Amino acid sequence: MPAPVPFDPDAIASAKLIVRPAKDGVTIKRTICSTCDIACSVVTESKQGRVVKVRSSDNPIFRDNICMKGIIAPKAFAHPDRILHPLKRVGERGSGQWEQVSWEDAMSDIGQRLKKVITEHGPEAWAVSTSQWNTATDHGLGRRIMNHVGTPNWISGVALCAGNTAAINRLTYGWFPMGDFNNTNCIVLMGHNPRRHSWTPIYNYIRSAQERGAKLIVCDPRKSSSAERADIWLPLKAGSDGAMMFGWLKVIFDEGLYDKDFVANWTVGFEELRKRVDEFPLDRVAKLTGCDPDMIAKAARMYATSGPSIIPWTPITDMQRNSTSAIRLQSILRSVCGYVDVAGGETLQGFNPDIVPESTIEMHEVLSEEQKAKQLGSDTHPAFTYRGQAALREPLKRVWGHEYVNQVTGCYMANPSATFRAMAGEGSYPVKAFFALGNNTVMSYANMPLILKGMMNQDLIVAHEHHMTPTAQLADYVLPGDSWLERPWLTDAFGWMSAYRPSEQSMEPPGEAKSTWEFWKHIANALDRPELVPWETLNDFYDDRLKGTGMSFKELSETTEIYFDKPVFRKYLKTGFATPSGKVELKSSILEDLGFDPLPYFREDPPADPDYPLQMFTGVREDGYFQTAQRQVPEMRKRAPEPQIFVSPGTASEYHLGENEWVTIENQIGKISAQVAIKEAMPDGLVRVPHGWWKPEMQQGAGHLSGALKYSDAQLCRDDEDYLDREQGIPHLKGVPCRIIKSPSGNATKTEAKV
Amino acid sequence: MSPFYSDDKRRELSAKLLIWLAARASRNQSMLDRLCLWLVDRAMRRDPDEDFMRDPIIDNDQGFDPEELDRYQRGEK
Repeated sequence: MPAPVPFDPDAIASAKLIVRPAKDGVTIKRTICSTCDIACSVVTESKQGRVVKVRSSDNPIFRDNICMKGIIAPKAFAHPDRILHPLKRVGERGSGQWEQVSWEDAMSDIGQRLKKVITEHGPEAWAVSTSQWNTATDHGLGRRIMNHVGTPNWISGVALCAGNTAAINRLTYGWFPMGDFNNTNCIVLMGHNPRRHSWTPIYNYIRSAQERGAKLIVCDPRKSSSAERADIWLPLKAGSDGAMMFGWLKVIFDEGLYDKDFVANWTVGFEELRKRVDEFPLDRVAKLTGCDPDMIAKAARMYATSGPSIIPWTPITDMQRNSTSAIRLQSILRSVCGYVDVAGGETLQGFNPDIVPESTIEMHEVLSEEQKAKQLGSDTHPAFTYRGQAALREPLKRVWGHEYVNQVTGCYMANPSATFRAMAGEGSYPVKAFFALGNNTVMSYANMPLILKGMMNQDLIVAHEHHMTPTAQLADYVLPGDSWLERPWLTDAFGWMSAYRPSEQSMEPPGEAKSTWEFWKHIANALDRPELVPWETLNDFYDDRLKGTGMSFKELSETTEIYFDKPVFRKYLKTGFATPSGKVELKSSILEDLGFDPLPYFREDPPADPDYPLQMFTGVREDGYFQTAQRQVPEMRKRAPEPQIFVSPGTASEYHLGENEWVTIENQIGKISAQVAIKEAMPDGLVRVPHGWWKPEMQQGAGHLSGALKYSDAQLCRDDEDYLDREQGIPHLKGVPCRIIKSPSGNATKTEAKV
Repeated sequence: MSPFYSDDKRRELSAKLLIWLAARASRNQSMLDRLCLWLVDRAMRRDPDEDFMRDPIIDNDQGFDPEELDRYQRGEK
């Protein structure tokens, strides 16, 4: 999405175009940073065959979209501890004893052992976890090979971050919309807080929209930096997003602020929805959210009357016990106010007709119905599994031309908790082979003790990684992965947008590091299925996908920074929506057929436990880190050297906590150590727990995991039914009971540190 | 009737124009492309004092020396 273009006559009169000239001996490439999930278009400068600088693009469309993580990337990827050669485990699992082997030997052994697992237990006994954010993409090849082999058990962090949102959005209107920041009049942030160095382009879009006069509404328990700039800040209780949106709908319906024509002609279930909404008068919503009813009403009116408005994707609503209902309520708000597929609203972009999407590469159609039915978790929590998305096959084909559309890679996933139970021998069938690509699995999902039990129960674990992460430490093989500086890429935001951006390779991978594309090609060969990856090279693969453009990947990269599809709005007037009814389903026929409440609802918190009087939320990252990564990068670590919980001055006073004091945070399933940071922005009684902490310098191996057993928030993330979303089975991370114990022994000691 | 319906057509045209401009500006091949790039640049440039994207870390324009990176990669101080 291009950055906003505000046509300010004064700006035009005083502006000059400056393109940095190339320097002698410096090679310049236009590339896309994949250090985090936001994919900024940047420029790399290389000398003597290696990247020495990453800077923001010369193209004003991407004006200054770069952050500290991107700038430090040339050094971060040159880290002395980066894994550059394949490693094979030679001691007990987790013993930390490795030997260097060749790719050929590694793949030969991996192929034999994987085939043995498949023969003994069935193809479904092979599971894969990958975060496409870290690998940029695996080009659809992972799913393609899994589908041909016969396993549906693919999991990802996108199960609780954007991928699940994509799948749930489709239940309402058949696509995952992208907000039109450039033309919108009002932006609603549900707990999300894009900053200069985190989700940078989104921060840029929001600030630019505000400069144009767009309104900003922020719903966040914290007085975040976005909340400080907002027109309205609603400090709602953590985890009460769904209740807040019920309140908004109550105001919008009662005051007739919705788009009556659109509702009458293009929605189903309005009357039933209205009855449900009537169960949420503002005094009840105020009680559930902790917000002033007048402010709730004011925000609802602003959203409905300032239009077109957008509610951009938020990782916060993704991670709640009412996630499905809350995401659906966002979809419903967008719809009843008439903001779907309009300029300035929520665009449904579809596929770019000139380019073969990764969904097509994945070939979900070859996986048999019998094997699809075995997808772990689909019996109890089906929403983003094959079973949950099955009713969309015909509508997707009818409207978007593809029967299987895997947006943000999140629409045909197995359930993570069910997968780890199967790995631990507690499922309906065993999972005995596990691959993690660019994914620190043990720290990336709920119930870390279960994940560890599952990992220790595997016959084969393969990690494709940069560093010896806690997950890699438990693997049989650790294979070196390349970085975004070292590979080409072609992205459409994982099927979210119809515009594509190419990214040029800036340098050769160091050592024997290989891309995910090469990894999967090797795996196909190792499984005696070379025909599954028939392309010789990644560039050949891209050339094939780009045939419809009339350009090769090289030509596209050299001539085009964004390959747009022609924008068309209100496409539903011709095609209808990609839902079973062809309309926006305020009452979801899909959820009803799956045995769930077809209308959104709000499940209140379980009864309070006096032993755990505080509430914590986790899943929040620091600017210098992306999820569990970068802790070994000195420049980033210097900025946030220790895991810190945030508490309010009131909470600090009540529990006698001092700044920088080490404490233990506990709940019913685990405990972690962290330092206290007292923040005015935090409300009383709420604790912010940082996500993804381990210390690469600490002792490796089972029982230690480089400090992950001491600091990782995944040990506090529950996956019992009270703390799982019913339809998706994803964990509630926003408002979990906990307590703080004063603890002088929280920090690492010298004896624990790696010598 | 959508409350913003009267503005809808104008907004659609504006959105399409922006996409067209961005597409041309991103190609930078012909004179027209360069004109579009120039227009976009002029429209987006801000007074430095009011530019919310200015940042000391970014403005520092940090780069590295290839030998320095080689030494670092080898674990040398």
